[in-house]
Amino acid sequence: MDVTVEVVGEGEETLAVDDDATYAELARAAGYSPHEVSVLVDGTPVPEDGTVTAERVTLLRLIKGG
Amino acid sequence: MCGVLIGSRADPDESDAVRDARPVPNVAADPRTHYELDPEATLAEIEAAEAAGDDVVGFYHSHPRGPPEPSDTDRRQATWPGYVYCIVVPGSDEDEEFVVRAWRWTGEAFESLTVEVVDD
Repeated sequence: MDVTVEVVGEGEETLAVDDDATYAELARAAGYSPHEVSVLVDGTPVPEDGTVTAERVTLLRLIKGG
Repeated sequence: MCGVLIGSRADPDESDAVRDARPVPNVAADPRTHYELDPEATLAEIEAAEAAGDDVVGFYHSHPRGPPEPSDTDRRQATWPGYVYCIVVPGSDEDEEFVVRAWRWTGEAFESLTVEVVDD
């Protein structure tokens, strides 16, 4: 399936992923480790091991440190 | 404390302007020693700023002690090249309640920035 991925602050692109792809795999396909981004659908985070069902996804690079 | 800096981003040789600092909950597993901006609240603040015609200039967080400089953890986990990371620490005396320093993440290192308070 085709998924439009918006990387906040960077732009968006459309990626083709397997129908059983997870959000973590989608993040990797967009060039990010699942550990450095949060995947959101309609503004709400989704589990990284969940199967991609949304046609439009937002990737927010995590802002963290210590 | 931590949050999003809202204002105007400028060309690399000009100054960014911060007009608002929007607090965001810290959802780090150990918030005493780490910070992580709540993604949902962060996205809401970013989208609100962009809807108002403003830019995300960067982000801020506090260190409970020590110099207002990025820590090794800050360097390892920085993910927004070109954006400002502002660090706030308690001041050393009554005349200086807190100290604010700003850094720009280049993707490889934090470059020190000059912070100037400008009246409207």
